[in-house]
Amino acid sequence: MKLVFKNLNVLRSMINDINASSDLKEIVESAGANLSALFDFSSFGMFWKDGHLLHLYQEESCPPSFTQGVVKQIIKVYSALMGETLDVERVNLHVEKKMLNPDQMRVDPMATLKSHLTLPIALEGEILGCISINSDQPNAFDAQDLQFFSVIGYQMTATIEHLQRLSSVKNLAIYDTLTGLYNRRYFDEKFGTEAQQAFVNKTSLSLVLIDIDHFKKVNDTFGHPEGDKILRGVATLLKNSVRKKDTVARYGGEEFILILPEANLEGASMIAERIRKLVENTSFDIGNAHLNATISLGISSFPSHRARSKEELLKMADLALYRAKGEGRNRVSLYDPAQNP
Amino acid sequence: MGKGSSDQILELYSNLLLEIWEDVSALIGETILALLFQLAINKVEEKYPFFAAVHLSEEGVSLEGVKERVRSLPAVEIHRGFQGFMTHLFDLFTTLSEGVITRELFPKVIPKVKEAERLISKQ
Repeated sequence: MKLVFKNLNVLRSMINDINASSDLKEIVESAGANLSALFDFSSFGMFWKDGHLLHLYQEESCPPSFTQGVVKQIIKVYSALMGETLDVERVNLHVEKKMLNPDQMRVDPMATLKSHLTLPIALEGEILGCISINSDQPNAFDAQDLQFFSVIGYQMTATIEHLQRLSSVKNLAIYDTLTGLYNRRYFDEKFGTEAQQAFVNKTSLSLVLIDIDHFKKVNDTFGHPEGDKILRGVATLLKNSVRKKDTVARYGGEEFILILPEANLEGASMIAERIRKLVENTSFDIGNAHLNATISLGISSFPSHRARSKEELLKMADLALYRAKGEGRNRVSLYDPAQNP
Repeated sequence: MGKGSSDQILELYSNLLLEIWEDVSALIGETILALLFQLAINKVEEKYPFFAAVHLSEEGVSLEGVKERVRSLPAVEIHRGFQGFMTHLFDLFTTLSEGVITRELFPKVIPKVKEAERLISKQ
């Protein structure tokens, strides 16, 4: 009975540690660090389908022959579950070597894998990987070990599910669900950071505010689902037209905004004009029709336009866009202090 | 062999699968077990379409829907179907845990399979 209580306490402690982990590697280490209190084992590992990652938490004296055997075994199990063979060469192996149990004898240098327990990690019916506990001793594990191991596996799966949900929640917090661009909230944060850097370091920073021309007419004529296609299409074109360091965000209904760090007025104008032409020349499939859309763009730039704050820079881009609309749409307009004192 | 034998075979295997479910879910949990059952069903479904009527959930395995599907099948066909299914299932158990799961099951499974073979041989 005392042993059962002791094991349950170890299990509880392990579950807490796993629960507190923030990525796969930590999950494996949290589990591995506690496992030696429950099992005599030489290696514990998690295989993750994405990226073919295999994290092993292993007795430091395990020879390469043993590690190879473990890798092959885990992949064999995974392949059997998936009904397709995975090449062992494609596995990205990370091994954390530890002295698992100071009282245990060191593993024989010629040791090979003799017994294992391997269980799938599955979420909503999809197999995402496996966990495995391994030993250089034959018949090292029994039914009770399997019970404990499965509880550990379920906790690891629950933690992974929680982390995945957190990741989607984080994504929801910064991405616009329709277009996949950053959302307004993210833009505000990012712009704040970029503007501060530019003002402090006196480096260039440009904003390009973009509006789809006559978008209301598209929605009224073809309906909102078709209008959404245009939004998504334009968003894709924007994403593919900017540099890696630039930020593209959905600013409003049919408005987008680009943050172009280290781009002066000339550079921003070139990017803007390129985007304008690209959109003009792109045909969007809307209902049974092909539609050509156009955009109007307004640019402001620091230090060229001498904005004293990020609010002012944003206001300047807005005024430039307003002028682009007023002068006929389908054009790039630069903020002009003479016209907007 | 009459309908009665088909019913007997189906009932034998239904009870056996329920026992397997109870014993193995205590070792590896219902979620993983349901996954393994489904993988084994996928392997035999093409040859024995009545397996599509097996209902799996975390509550267990139900063969209620299978009764209708096997109404016109001879007992030997049902028997072979379940043998095939159990071969695949046990292969999965062995792959995951070597002998740990199957050792727990053999004392129950072997007599039941022998009983099924006896029923079939009466044909």
